[in-house]
Amino acid sequence: MEVILEVQELTKYFGGLAAVRNVSFVLRQGEMLGIIGPNGAGKTTLFNLLTGFLKPNGGKIIFRGENIVGLKPWTIVNQGLARTFQIVRPFHQLTGLENVVISCLSPRGAERAKKGAEEKAWKLLKSVGLAGKERMLAKDLPHGDLKRLELARALATDPELLLLDEPFAGLGLQEIYSLSPLIQRLSQEGHSIIIIEHKLRELMKLVKRVMTLHFGEKIADGTPDELSRDQRVVEAYLGKGGRTFANV
Amino acid sequence: MNIFLEILVYGAVQSAVYALLAMGFCLIFGVANIVNLAHTALYMIGAYLVYTFFSLLRLNLAMAILLSTVSVGIVAMGLYRFCIRPVMYSEWSVLMVTISLALFFQQLMIFFYGPPDRNVQGFIQEKLTLFGVVEIDAQRLLTLGISVILLILLWLYIYRTRMGKAILAVAQDREAALFMGINSERVYLTVIAISAMLAAIGGAFIAPTLGARPEMWSPPLGRIFAVVVLGGMGSLEGTILAALLIGYTEVIISFAISSYFGELVAVLIILLMLTFRPSGLLGKRIEV
Amino acid sequence: MPGQENRSIFTSERIGLLIALAILSAVPLFIKDRAIVELIILANIYAVYVASWDILCGYTGQVNFGHALFVGGGAYAAALLNFYFKTPPWVTIFIGGGIAAIFGLIIGTPCLRLRGPYFALATFAAAAVPYGLTDVYWEITGGLDGLYGISPIWPTLAGRYYFSLLLTALCCGLIYAGGRSNKGLILKSIREDEIGAMASGINTTRYKLVTFIVSGFFAGVAGAFYSHNQLHVGPETLSINLSILVIIMSVVGGIGTITGPICGAYLLTIFNEMLREWEELRLLIYTATVVLMLIFVPKGIVPALSEGISQLFKKRKGG
Repeated sequence: MEVILEVQELTKYFGGLAAVRNVSFVLRQGEMLGIIGPNGAGKTTLFNLLTGFLKPNGGKIIFRGENIVGLKPWTIVNQGLARTFQIVRPFHQLTGLENVVISCLSPRGAERAKKGAEEKAWKLLKSVGLAGKERMLAKDLPHGDLKRLELARALATDPELLLLDEPFAGLGLQEIYSLSPLIQRLSQEGHSIIIIEHKLRELMKLVKRVMTLHFGEKIADGTPDELSRDQRVVEAYLGKGGRTFANV
Repeated sequence: MNIFLEILVYGAVQSAVYALLAMGFCLIFGVANIVNLAHTALYMIGAYLVYTFFSLLRLNLAMAILLSTVSVGIVAMGLYRFCIRPVMYSEWSVLMVTISLALFFQQLMIFFYGPPDRNVQGFIQEKLTLFGVVEIDAQRLLTLGISVILLILLWLYIYRTRMGKAILAVAQDREAALFMGINSERVYLTVIAISAMLAAIGGAFIAPTLGARPEMWSPPLGRIFAVVVLGGMGSLEGTILAALLIGYTEVIISFAISSYFGELVAVLIILLMLTFRPSGLLGKRIEV
Repeated sequence: MPGQENRSIFTSERIGLLIALAILSAVPLFIKDRAIVELIILANIYAVYVASWDILCGYTGQVNFGHALFVGGGAYAAALLNFYFKTPPWVTIFIGGGIAAIFGLIIGTPCLRLRGPYFALATFAAAAVPYGLTDVYWEITGGLDGLYGISPIWPTLAGRYYFSLLLTALCCGLIYAGGRSNKGLILKSIREDEIGAMASGINTTRYKLVTFIVSGFFAGVAGAFYSHNQLHVGPETLSINLSILVIIMSVVGGIGTITGPICGAYLLTIFNEMLREWEELRLLIYTATVVLMLIFVPKGIVPALSEGISQLFKKRKGG
């Protein structure tokens, strides 16, 4: 399978602090990669770098063969790299439908007329399970629905690579059980996906490959099994002397 | 050499005035995140009140200044409570309400005092000659002196008293301060009062030099906003630095070319600053 | 910032606008008092000032504190062309709009990356420059007095009135259509969350710049028209007072709706006139009213009214 994303020695400093340091990894087309790590490990910073919201101090990001460092966020989206945000950011005063329509109106969303955009948006809302709520204002939607809305908006730009930042955050178990198959389906349909998550158990059910960040550095990259036995990963989360994931 | 000394002195006076006015503005923004466009209107009211108490009612000078300063402080607290606080949820509404208040006060001054300029008696009438060559009104020097004293007092207040520490705490993180038991409302009121009183005293001392006019709130507003942005919104030290920069630049250009270009330069500095370094020289970082 | 579209009275809004247009068309036929007709001409022009302001500021959330730059730029461009080169009003009005649009391009490019009060300050500062320039180059511009003897757009009052109405209907109509279109929706998304819009693939910088230029164009056109209406141009068209007045009219009417600011323009112009009886207190009452409105009706008149009306309908249906 082709490589869709290659990250080389990516580094980002904030003042004297290295939020991301020399991170390198490769993602193949259709693969689903999980990223874990304690708070402050640099996971969201990595996403911000990948999507052009932050400029790295060093390193390259090669997406579909092209180095996208320095490109504007919207350009990157229009090349097929979309993301959701850790803390949802819908357009509060717009309806659910309008929220997705915006993405449909982008160059990659490829809709010009209102009708076409609304139809496409409606189909997407239906596919994430929000049919019937499209006329509600985003500020009136419950958290679980907003997570789905984030997803619909990202999908509306026809992405090849999807970055999901803590899609399960703030969701109860039931909601996770209904959202998880949706993400799985996206992977089966051919989207490449990178997921940042803290809910390890639910994440491990979805992905076959996990990468761990700690203090901005990649300290592990392998199957969930391999990671649960990796001493460094356990220490990063639990400190020295902690139990392994296998026992959790 | 003469010119150099003249610039030195006049620049100092100009900078001091800007610093005094900008300080209050910066304080409110740094602590309460309020951009108070009525700040210079308070300075105007201070000027008019001193005119009323000192020139019209012939009260003792110290009494006049005290009365006008305290009155403006009280007015400002009232403005905060009834006009600003109800709309504080929106930065934008605060801008609108305060600029409208400034316009209202302009009309109020016209109503009470009429449109023409008012001449305010100077507190000291002499002209002094500094360094043997620089002629300057004693009033301006007095303004410089008072500004410096007040700024020092302000610094002492903020960094050496309990309330000052509370103010710093709220400026850094309002929620955390609340959790520490600091009454942020009281802090806001204190800051507003201090800020207003500084502006009022500024008005009182500058009025003899510039006169009191109903439009006098307008020109300084842009200037001190520029000072605060240049120095970094929310940074007191930055404000002083910026006041010096802008004050001296204006004076130098005024001497070299003309006073109109002096103002123009201030505008250009703002625009340049905003384009390249919006967080100012020393200010809070603005995020993308 | 609030600027909610209320879908339930969407079409009634359009009906309301058509009715208003019909009423305005009838004005010169029924009102014989010249002063009132002149007043409404002024209100028509102000309507374009505020509509052009709102499409930028209400929709994208970048608040322009120097709108007079566009108005005055157009006014002076038209006046100078007409005064020195005898260019006819039709041409000057378009050129005036064009010049203002260019100002928009020059100022927008560096300033639009700023947010909130910083953008406000930058536009405020930028607008202050030409104001001073009219004084520095007083030989050309006539200084504080300005220039007199600008050609009228039409000799008769009724003619001038109908042209002003045409101006308003065209400009406001186009701006309104733009606001309600897909582009308008995108602008609103930029206001709500610019980062979110960027993440949705929208080139927010370009949208903001284009809107800024369009805003400038229409304001310039209206400013140029103003010169030909007053037969005079002066620095008051570049003043901060005008900028603030435009903002106040828009906010009182309800930003982000186009119709709101237009209502605000008419209401406040008429209100200002009604207060003439109390000449001394006039501006005092005016500014005090504005402050009170900002505190008690923060969303603006039109959104407040439309919410009130739809509440009424809900109560009726709910029983």
